[in-house]
Amino acid sequence: MKIFFAFVFFVPALINAQDNHDHHDHHSHEGHLHEQMVDGEKLEVDVERFDKFVKGLKDKQIAVVSVKGMVCDFCAQGIEKTFKKDKTVAKIDVDLNKGKVFIAYQMNTKIDFEKIKKMIVSNGQNATKLQVLKL
Amino acid sequence: MGIKVLVFAMLFFTLNSEARPISYSGGSTLMAFSGNMYNSLYYHFSPTYRYSLGVESVEDKFFNQQYSYFRFTYLLSRRNTESSQGNLYFQSGLSSDGLDGHFYGLHGDWETRRWFIGFNYRDVKNSLKNYTDQFLQVGVAPYLGAYGDFHTWIMIKTKKNTLLGDWSTFPVLKFFKGNFLIEFGYNDQTEWDAHVMYRF
Repeated sequence: MKIFFAFVFFVPALINAQDNHDHHDHHSHEGHLHEQMVDGEKLEVDVERFDKFVKGLKDKQIAVVSVKGMVCDFCAQGIEKTFKKDKTVAKIDVDLNKGKVFIAYQMNTKIDFEKIKKMIVSNGQNATKLQVLKL
Repeated sequence: MGIKVLVFAMLFFTLNSEARPISYSGGSTLMAFSGNMYNSLYYHFSPTYRYSLGVESVEDKFFNQQYSYFRFTYLLSRRNTESSQGNLYFQSGLSSDGLDGHFYGLHGDWETRRWFIGFNYRDVKNSLKNYTDQFLQVGVAPYLGAYGDFHTWIMIKTKKNTLLGDWSTFPVLKFFKGNFLIEFGYNDQTEWDAHVMYRF
């Protein structure tokens, strides 16, 4: 019985520890982009989500937009669908944890925050800040 | 017979108001409800996030009848913060049976990623008897999923219909992932009800 309990407690702990180790390795060796200063400020993003978003992207500008009122998947879906209609957008994702929208544009695209604000408002949310990162 | 009519009316106007009444701009929503008294299918389209137009078809199991509601919902106010969204809606419906059958009311909610509070109030006119219907609902998400994950809500709902008088309180479980949402509520008067929603 003791062996059973030891197994029940230790195996999940070991798996969890391995997961943490994997996460640590992931952030140690890949994509420090989220730690980069943009306009004197650090990006406040879900690190895993952001690293996954930028993985494989080259010669792109990443607009990180802070959005108010984005509390559920349905809000995120509306924003995603709106930006996917824009042909200048190469990729988009939503970080609900930090209230951010990631938008990848081609390098030659002029990023217009007023246009982004209008697109966000058309879905009922409010864009409050824009940070642009060049890859 | 009379009690069943009243219970049916209470269920219809309460449970159909639980779903989000307006989608994102250009979004469509298809909802189905199945319970011991009736089945309903409701489609609405939102030209903007401000309002939606829809049609609801009802299969009345008890009376063995079918009729429809033409529905209009308008967002009166929305308050966004970094961690929450609050909404107040006007809602209305006109029956295919004529002007005598209609309803209007208010629906409100406030939501963070962890907490949900909602209410509904409706004034219902029909050929049998006029009445009001209201509910309050509180929910908590036991974990916070990222966009695209499987989401779970545990809720408590309390409702009252002036035709019946008493408040009824019962648990509700809600699950959704992507465009798909399913919700179960249990009440000892009505047994299991199921509500399914697909947004596109």
